[in-house]
Amino acid sequence: MSDVAVEQLTLELGEFALLDISLSLDAGEIGVILGPNGAGKSVLLETIAGFHRPAAGRVVISGREVTTKPPEQRHVGFILQNFGLFPHLTAAENISFGLHIRRRQRGSGEIAPLLARFRLEGVADRLPDTLSPGEKQRTALARSLITEPDVFLLDEPFAAIDTRTSDTLREELRQFIRDARIPALFVTHDHLDAVALADKIAVMWEGEIVQSGTPSEVFQRPKNRFVAEFLGVENILAGTIMARHAGGYSVYVGGQRLEVPPGNESLNAEDEVLLCLPADAVDVRQPGGAASLREFPGLIVAMASAGPLVRLTLDCGFPLTAHLLRRTVSERHLQPHQAVTVDIDPAAVHLIREP
Amino acid sequence: MNQHPTSIQQIIAPLLGVLIMAISPSAHAADSVKLTVFAAGTLAVPFRALDEAFQKKYSEVEVQPQFGGSVKMAKQITELHQDADILAVADYSVIPKYLFAGDGKPGLTTWYVGFARNAITFVYTDKSKYAQELTPQNWYQVLARPGVEIGRSDPDTDPSGYQTVQMLDLASRFYKDPQLSTKILANASPKNLRDTETALISALQIGQIDYLAIYRSDALQHHLKFLELPAEINLSDPAHAKFYEQGVAHTKNGDLSGKPIVYAITIPSVAHHADWARKYIAMLLGPEGQRILAANGFGAFTPAYAVNADSVPPDLHPLVKPWPGS
Amino acid sequence: MQTRSARSPARPHGALALSFVLGGILLAFILLPLLALTAGQSPTALAQVASSRDVLDAIGLSLAGAALATLCAAFFGVPLGYVLARTSFAGKTFVSAVVDVPLAVPHTVAGIALLFVFGRQGLIGAAADAVGLQFWGTLAGVVVAMLFVSVPYTVNSARLGFEAVDPRLEQVARTLGLGPWHALYRVTLPLAWRGIMTGLTLTFARAIAEFGAVVILVYYPMTAPVKIYELFIRFGLEEATGMALLLLAVSLALFLLLRWLAYGRGHTSGLGR
Repeated sequence: MSDVAVEQLTLELGEFALLDISLSLDAGEIGVILGPNGAGKSVLLETIAGFHRPAAGRVVISGREVTTKPPEQRHVGFILQNFGLFPHLTAAENISFGLHIRRRQRGSGEIAPLLARFRLEGVADRLPDTLSPGEKQRTALARSLITEPDVFLLDEPFAAIDTRTSDTLREELRQFIRDARIPALFVTHDHLDAVALADKIAVMWEGEIVQSGTPSEVFQRPKNRFVAEFLGVENILAGTIMARHAGGYSVYVGGQRLEVPPGNESLNAEDEVLLCLPADAVDVRQPGGAASLREFPGLIVAMASAGPLVRLTLDCGFPLTAHLLRRTVSERHLQPHQAVTVDIDPAAVHLIREP
Repeated sequence: MNQHPTSIQQIIAPLLGVLIMAISPSAHAADSVKLTVFAAGTLAVPFRALDEAFQKKYSEVEVQPQFGGSVKMAKQITELHQDADILAVADYSVIPKYLFAGDGKPGLTTWYVGFARNAITFVYTDKSKYAQELTPQNWYQVLARPGVEIGRSDPDTDPSGYQTVQMLDLASRFYKDPQLSTKILANASPKNLRDTETALISALQIGQIDYLAIYRSDALQHHLKFLELPAEINLSDPAHAKFYEQGVAHTKNGDLSGKPIVYAITIPSVAHHADWARKYIAMLLGPEGQRILAANGFGAFTPAYAVNADSVPPDLHPLVKPWPGS
Repeated sequence: MQTRSARSPARPHGALALSFVLGGILLAFILLPLLALTAGQSPTALAQVASSRDVLDAIGLSLAGAALATLCAAFFGVPLGYVLARTSFAGKTFVSAVVDVPLAVPHTVAGIALLFVFGRQGLIGAAADAVGLQFWGTLAGVVVAMLFVSVPYTVNSARLGFEAVDPRLEQVARTLGLGPWHALYRVTLPLAWRGIMTGLTLTFARAIAEFGAVVILVYYPMTAPVKIYELFIRFGLEEATGMALLLLAVSLALFLLLRWLAYGRGHTSGLGR
């Protein structure tokens, strides 16, 4: 059993900084730090690993404070973009790299079970350049595991890997972390990593954690425009609260009135707000039918295929993006430049007060 | 990085440019006569002055001098087959040894003219050890003191190297101190040797060595303090030629006896511009050349001495007389 | 051994063909003068030169001097290359330029400059003299002259070698339990090995060939280039080229050995990343 905690970590390092960062993970938990390039994510990992001395705050790994300890005494597993294997060593040599340090002079026989567990027997003598991404990931995990780490720190391991492969690798990684009962902190700029892996998410921007919580909390209730945009919310619309009533709010958006259920923010009439609306909460059909406050007339401006979905760009007096299943689009005979009725699911709308 | 390979034109254009630049100077070459003069390094300063005077007088000629050790310059003609128009050496015996016919080899010349003389001396600076006590009378005692570092050129390869040893041998006889030469040479160990003594001038000025055996001409040209040694030992005067013969240097090339330091010049048969070479030598032997030589510390002969005077080109005859004793 | 070009998508064929031709011309440019040296060289004269004590001593001195200069270059130059690769500081550009300066200084000037510092009255020379170390006419003098003109190759190549190594690999090694020195030794040095060895080979080669700077400080005992020059003056072309050939043969053998050390052993295909 192990856990990791970072308490009020503060650091300045050239153009990067960490400001009062706190987070904690239990054994087997995956925390994802999500943020754009330059947010300080890697610096945070490097500080936890022991490469930078923080100006303030503590790093506690498995109940042991390690804030001033050098990296080699922290027992962290560090996995980099493209997995950071040593290119001059074979897979087996990579795996046994840390072995000779911790426990000198044990034969290579020791890594045989590990090679088997990670399905690497066939490639043990190959150099990293010749391994598949999956083999690289397993080699890197095995290499860390052999030193019995108390926490895994992963720095965008999938950044240079194609989407289809990284889907598989994410699943393997998640399974491994769960089974190993070791906490893992995963930094990425890709919200798909967060969706697939995270037990906890923290969004980081300019050295600060802007928002943290469970994936559903963060994805459904982004705290501000930056978080919403960064998490890939397709529709972020400016609006004004017209009235507040028992059922929630009446909001004006681009000349349309929308009824939105109450959220956790307390808003008043005349407040300027942002409406966050996922594209899959927008429905589009042929015009007509009963008019209601969640329906608008609109025009299909463009249609583009996105995997199993079709992305529709709409003009409802304000721009709107909708994701519909390909099948739905063809059943409803939806065409570009066509007038349609747009239906918004009020429960999916999240309101952010504009400062 | 994903740079696209540059197009062939882009590669070749600059190459062509470089080629054109490399070729173009020789395109001008046809405009003037290139007179190639190989000369001993000691002659560099007076010959450069002479070149200027010569080019001023004959604007169609461009003198291209090359300076180096006398033997090296001779061998550049005989072994590396470089076609020089003129060869001027610091030791007149170099010309018969390397350029005259013999050993079944055809000769490259049959005559030479001795046109200047020089003397061996020691240069020093204010920083040199015991420089304050040095006089023309006690020099051989001062230079023999322990701790004095004396530079000289290599007697195995350079005339001034063996001439220095010969001069010291003569000094032993002249001052009647048989150990004189040995004691002074003990302060001139191999680490103080160079292929040519002028390479040691910087070492003298930096203070690495205290005294440097060198030609009087170089001492003057480099504005260095120097000893005025007696004519009986400094190899400057053909009148003392008999005594000089007693000064012997043991070298890897055998024992060499002293001779007056007489600079000699000739026109090798490989010369492309023998006509201009004669005009050049005429200027050297004439008043203008002799004035330049004197100004640079060389002793002049008027007229100059010629070996095989009959073979000397006729237009130079008025300027030479037969070598004494030859 | 797999090479990168073998795996990369097909290059335009014309470019490769042209490169072959141009490369061949360059190779001929290097080889023809060297072959010209061997032409007309009689085996007996060569054997005579090769059996001369003086000649062998001179080659031995050059090799010893170059080896010591190369060791000094490794000891001081590789760390400087590491610093230049891994840090940024005010004046780094200036430092890099200073490192290159010996390549641009005429070698005679370099020799005189060294004499100022290492001569018996120089800053270092005087201090060294007090402990019995002299640079005038000694092996130590040969070494400093060789080092001065050849150390830029080591610094620059080592720097390029280190720059090609992802510094985060060293971090990974640290998290796997290695101390900073150990991580440098087990990860960064092996990965920068080629660059370092290339630099040391160039330094060694340049050091063997050095004439101008060496001859200011040390004429006797003679290094090989000085001896070749002396042979030419004293005897002639045949003896000089004979010795030059001997030196070339010894050097070539050494370079092949060094190349083998740099590229020929262990796993190498991963080093180029």
